Amino acid sequence: MSKFRPAAPVDTPSAQPSPAAAAQTSLLDEPQEWSAFGRACTQAGQGEPANPLASPWESHVVLDGMHCAACALTIEDALKAVPGVQQADVSAATRRARVVWNPAQVLPSQWMAAVQHAGYRAMPAMDAFARAQRLRESRRALWRWLVAGFCMMQVMMYAWPAYVAQPGDLTAEMEHLLRWASWVITLPMVVFSCGPFFSSALRDIRLRRVSMDLPVALGMAITFIVSSAGTFDMDGIFGKEVYYDSLTMFVFFLLTGRWLELRLRDRTAGALEAVMNRLPDSVERRTGDGSFERVATRRLAVGDTVRVLAGEAFPADGRITAGHTHVDEALLTGESTPVARAEGGAVTAGSYNLQAPVEVLVESTGAQTRFAQIVALMESASLQKPRLAQLADRIARPFLWAVLVAAGLAAAWWWPTDPSHALMVAVAVLIVTCPCALSLATPVAMLTAAGTLARHGVLVRNLQALEALARVDTVVFDKTGTLTRDAMAVRSVHTAPGINADEALSMAAALAGQSMHPVSRAVALAGAATSGHWRATDVHEEAGRGLVGTLTDTRPDGAPPRVFRLGSALHAGVAAAGASAALQAVLSLEHDDGSVSEVARFELAEDLRTEAPAVVDALQRAGIAVQLLSGDRAGAVQRVATQAGIATAHGECTPQGKLAALKDLQLAGRHVAMVGDGLNDGPVLAGAHASFAFGRAVPLAQAQADFVVLGDSLALVPQTVMLARHTLRVVRQNLWWAAGYNALCVPLAVVGAMPAWLAGLGMALSSLLVVLNAARLSRSLPALPPCAATAIAGNSAVAALPTPDSDLPVATRPEPA
Amino acid sequence: MDILYLLIPLSVALVLLVLAGLWWAVYHGQFESVEQEGERILRDD
Repeated sequence: MSKFRPAAPVDTPSAQPSPAAAAQTSLLDEPQEWSAFGRACTQAGQGEPANPLASPWESHVVLDGMHCAACALTIEDALKAVPGVQQADVSAATRRARVVWNPAQVLPSQWMAAVQHAGYRAMPAMDAFARAQRLRESRRALWRWLVAGFCMMQVMMYAWPAYVAQPGDLTAEMEHLLRWASWVITLPMVVFSCGPFFSSALRDIRLRRVSMDLPVALGMAITFIVSSAGTFDMDGIFGKEVYYDSLTMFVFFLLTGRWLELRLRDRTAGALEAVMNRLPDSVERRTGDGSFERVATRRLAVGDTVRVLAGEAFPADGRITAGHTHVDEALLTGESTPVARAEGGAVTAGSYNLQAPVEVLVESTGAQTRFAQIVALMESASLQKPRLAQLADRIARPFLWAVLVAAGLAAAWWWPTDPSHALMVAVAVLIVTCPCALSLATPVAMLTAAGTLARHGVLVRNLQALEALARVDTVVFDKTGTLTRDAMAVRSVHTAPGINADEALSMAAALAGQSMHPVSRAVALAGAATSGHWRATDVHEEAGRGLVGTLTDTRPDGAPPRVFRLGSALHAGVAAAGASAALQAVLSLEHDDGSVSEVARFELAEDLRTEAPAVVDALQRAGIAVQLLSGDRAGAVQRVATQAGIATAHGECTPQGKLAALKDLQLAGRHVAMVGDGLNDGPVLAGAHASFAFGRAVPLAQAQADFVVLGDSLALVPQTVMLARHTLRVVRQNLWWAAGYNALCVPLAVVGAMPAWLAGLGMALSSLLVVLNAARLSRSLPALPPCAATAIAGNSAVAALPTPDSDLPVATRPEPA
Repeated sequence: MDILYLLIPLSVALVLLVLAGLWWAVYHGQFESVEQEGERILRDD
């Protein structure tokens, strides 16, 4: 870049690009680099187009030099002014921006230069880059804070004699020496610690606008000038008063507040970054001759085979072709227990291989992976500005002008009596106001809540929905499937006389293991716990009816191979068992003469999620009415509703019927949250005030809900509702605090009742209080009432299944005639 | 009390020296992963 100037101001060592950074920026203009920090805006992310120039690109950048919410608006304006930039969203809380730009009109280096021109720095959101940047920034913040703290202590030492000395104790020379020493110590503090305030204030003046640093920097400059004048020109207009102690103290308080705020904010952004940094930079790919070479993850293609070592993250979605291991999918599903994955098992990009090296056949890469979809969801949500935050931002700017005017008027009022005092009153007004607290109040709380939810496997697609969810008083489950597991379960076994139920289940499971039909899966799962010494051969499936196959006893003294049938009563060749509503599967033995005899019947039912009753109970206790609308048969819906404890349930609803029922509820003044699978109930979910989708089996990009639950536990629904209520409480507290603080302190400062150091302390504390209050939301999800907690503990699929020898009711039926 | 005329400038010099020390410490990573370094002595390898 020709604009590069080597002379950087001492307080902002990284404000100018280094030659390496400039080379990096122009390298970013090459199309193959774009996918590293963004993706092409094609329909539903269907891969990159053949010509990257044809469609607009969505890129993410990390911003450096942002101090407050007002900066976010400035950067947005600067980006939007560049021709070819279609959209720009800047988040103050995560210091990231999303830019949609058209490659035909503009290149990344050009809009990045626009950001730089506005006085900030943009870097592509690639990890190594951003992490180094974070380290540098935190070091600089620490250094400034240490300088301020150390200088403050020493200046206080020099100020002390002037406070305690009786008249005449301190000679004029000694007093002058102490002031001179204070000045020398204050100087490095003004240069190093106040540097960022001055540089951003200068930037504001040059660009003719106000931000929160301007009043503060003005205050610092005035105090330092007045004190210097008092030191070197005692007979001057400002008198002989000095305020080094006030200056150093308020700078120290201010920086302490900023530093703590930075750390807390990093922790919030950390939740997002923890997800984004999950993919490894490089991976071992098998070459043609069977050896492995390390390649960049970005170069992987579908069909490659990669080796993932224990402790590494999976680079792409795929299937294990060799080896077996345990994987940690906590970040993707919120489920903290490691999951076993054997050969043929699917693994997801971003989950960790915990145990042993495995070889994985890559099935999807880049933007198609489930991981990339999750990241995209989180990123776009974190950039939204909730309604309350927009309101606060609109207030902040005029408020700053009002503060500047108030400070000017206060100074003018006091000037005739004492110019030095007049200036210090103005300084107190400038410093005590804290629009930061106002701007931070909403986004910091909502982002913290979203981060907490993400850690537990709930993605917030829409921050605004947190506000809506907090007001919800009715939850409607719009599918039976949300309350039940996808699979069916064996409820009871009825065997022919002389046959052991375990044995029957074991035989049926051997056959059923060969089929993917839901009934077969249920039988196979139920039989998994039995001895399993049967082997099925020559299995044929008659679609929709059942299986026929030969079962061999693998024990040495086992029975000879015989042919068995498993399926509907008709398929098994026996009489149907009366008018039983439950689904049945029958196992029968086919004799050589073609006749059959029944061995066992298995009654199946949809398996209610174990935590469902507790969840319904928790919601009702929180004052939320629970309803069930379903398209299933009325009888089945009623049964599920009764089991779960839901009083109002309607079966056989059409999608239009559901929508109408929802509208009726809303007309009656209810705030409704819908819980669905997010796939084909889009209109119903969209019509509700807030909506949940269980995204386990659903392509995330298509899930049209405000909250996408990645995990499997229904308990996350009431927990999210409670967290949303808590979040809104925190937001309200923050807004009241920020408004009340400013309303009280500004008048106090104007009448001259507030010294500068107290003003600095007040401002730092008010910002910090807002952030700390929001940090309460990051602790953990609110716990459900005790009865719920026990049900959730046993919530994994295997534990919930009744095993034949424990609680499965076993009955022996008399031989049918 | 004349000694103060020496001691005060000396304290100023000392403060600046300490600041230089802090600068070195911050920019050489002395304040990063503080817990980790403390635990290192307890490890066998």
